[in-house]
Amino acid sequence: MAPATSPTGSDHTGSRRRPFWTMERRDALAGYLFIAPQLIGITIFVLIPLCLVFWFSLHEWNVLAARFTYTGAANYKALLSDPGLGEVFGATAIFSLGLVVLNMSLALLLAVLLSQKLTGITVFRTLFFSPVVVSLVAWTIVWSFLLQKNGGLNAILQVFGLEGSNWLRDPTTAMISVIVVQVFKNVGLNMILFLAALQGVPKELYEAARVDGVSPFKQFRRITVPLISPTILLTSIITIVGSLQVFAQIAVLTQGGPGMSTTVLVYYLYQQAFQFHRFGYGSTLSIVLFVIVAVLTFVQWQMRKRIVFYER
Amino acid sequence: MAPVKLANVRKSFGAVEIIQGVDVDIVDGEFLVLVGPSGCGKSTLLRMIAGLESISSGEIAIGDRVVNDLEPKFRDIAMVFQNYALYPHMTVERNMGFSLEHRGHSKSEIAERVQWAAQILDLAKLLDRYPRQLSGGQRQRVAMGRAIVRNPQVFLFDEPLSNLDAKLRVVMRAEIKSLHQRLGVTTVYVTHDQVEAMTMADRIVVMNGGKVEQIGTPLELYDRPANRFVAGFIGSPAMNFLPGTITRAGFEAGGVTLPLPGPIAERDGQDAVYGIRPEHLALDGEGLEAEVLLVEPMGSETQVTLRLAGQQMIAVFRERISARPGETIRLRPDVAAAHLFDAASGARLN
Repeated sequence: MAPATSPTGSDHTGSRRRPFWTMERRDALAGYLFIAPQLIGITIFVLIPLCLVFWFSLHEWNVLAARFTYTGAANYKALLSDPGLGEVFGATAIFSLGLVVLNMSLALLLAVLLSQKLTGITVFRTLFFSPVVVSLVAWTIVWSFLLQKNGGLNAILQVFGLEGSNWLRDPTTAMISVIVVQVFKNVGLNMILFLAALQGVPKELYEAARVDGVSPFKQFRRITVPLISPTILLTSIITIVGSLQVFAQIAVLTQGGPGMSTTVLVYYLYQQAFQFHRFGYGSTLSIVLFVIVAVLTFVQWQMRKRIVFYER
Repeated sequence: MAPVKLANVRKSFGAVEIIQGVDVDIVDGEFLVLVGPSGCGKSTLLRMIAGLESISSGEIAIGDRVVNDLEPKFRDIAMVFQNYALYPHMTVERNMGFSLEHRGHSKSEIAERVQWAAQILDLAKLLDRYPRQLSGGQRQRVAMGRAIVRNPQVFLFDEPLSNLDAKLRVVMRAEIKSLHQRLGVTTVYVTHDQVEAMTMADRIVVMNGGKVEQIGTPLELYDRPANRFVAGFIGSPAMNFLPGTITRAGFEAGGVTLPLPGPIAERDGQDAVYGIRPEHLALDGEGLEAEVLLVEPMGSETQVTLRLAGQQMIAVFRERISARPGETIRLRPDVAAAHLFDAASGARLN
């Protein structure tokens, strides 16, 4: 094969070496530099702690006794014989399910109502979103006062001749109270996401549906819901993951009680590690939580082909 | 099929009246085109017929029913939207059958009607696809399929070809026209493209500023525009206009005298506008002098931009022109095809 020549006929192959910083390499370097801060952050604050937690879960670690002993899978075996764990999983499931269903339904309902073109609608949008930016602890403390036996909520009920419960101390109402407080705190975020999604649905589709004779309810079910399905998937993942990580609200409102009725997994983990100084077992519970979150997120992600219309 | 009657239809948004008393009788099976510049109210009028916009006053009747207060689904109309408005999460088949599902048709009947429409529009192989997997022309055909499966009394088209490229537009124009000839359904078609209007319509309604300027067949509008607006809007390239004065010697403008169409005795001294279409200017060694500004050879014809009597004009010649910019040519207007409009009102004088 003849060597490559320039249009003038001179041979360039042997005389010029390809520079190291080619355009391709420069582009690649720029890409790496852009993602580097995120990669460094994830490594320091996620990956290394995750590995450490797994390492700790293989040990018995009592800070007060300064004991750090390798125990292998003992902590994982202890999970199976932990008498409180079933109740903790139950409380966690009830909290997550209740929160996800209530939060997403209310957020969607509010978004539909607030997507109407009415005078002053921006005020209502701001009103419903404002709890999201309020301090979580401040919000929860205010609600803990409102939900006391002689608190604000019962005072309102009394005006109507009703006697309210001791919401946070009654085992039948404690969990629903915590869920409602959390829903009101965060519903604005999902509402805004749904609102943006609703505004992205072309108006012509509704007009076509009106001409096609589709009722408003069926328009919502057959057009709106499928078209905002990407946002439904996103919000469901965010809400489920968030619900499994709830801690501050439980710590402020009920401290896991009454009994263990509101002791969710993260609060139980906190009790084991920081109240009973069983850091090894606490780490094991963290790994369990991590696996649950990972599996649920993976399952939801796999379900996107059924949920999200453009994935079909 | 049904006739559509619009009687003194008006529409206001606050103090602004955007449809100012429209009267149109659309006969059964007619292909009527609403044409006009952007913002003239043609799409609003179509949406009022569809029931997607309320009317402020007047009467809209489809067949023998006044439909002013009827929801779109009770008007027995089908509409094709500018952006097709196909449901992106449904296949072509579901898109076409969706309206039938909500009107109580059985599954077998829906399948049969969808197959029938798919055969007509050559969509049979695309029934399992989603809109995002289709080309613009295919989406357009699906939108039409969705309309025809219903077998409605009236088809409404809202600028359905404006998103297609020029070549596809010509193809789809012919498809819509042949579909109308095959089905014979009364059709109201909105466009801002006067070529589309001319080639498709049985009759054209030219709208401007919320009012009807003229209603007529394409050639009526072309040959005898009722006013200067219609004359300028219908025809491509547009009609040339020359402002001047009617005298006994002819039409005087910019130091030249043009021959007048028809008797002028009672109009002597009246300010007017002389209108002549580009193809009605012919080369003539004895004609009026014009300076060539630009020559655009199209192959089948040559378009020449020139200055005549101080006004820029366009002339279209079937023959090849060798003139270059800056040169002078001589032209003779075809008096029989010339138009005279009142300078103030724009109304036709001849």
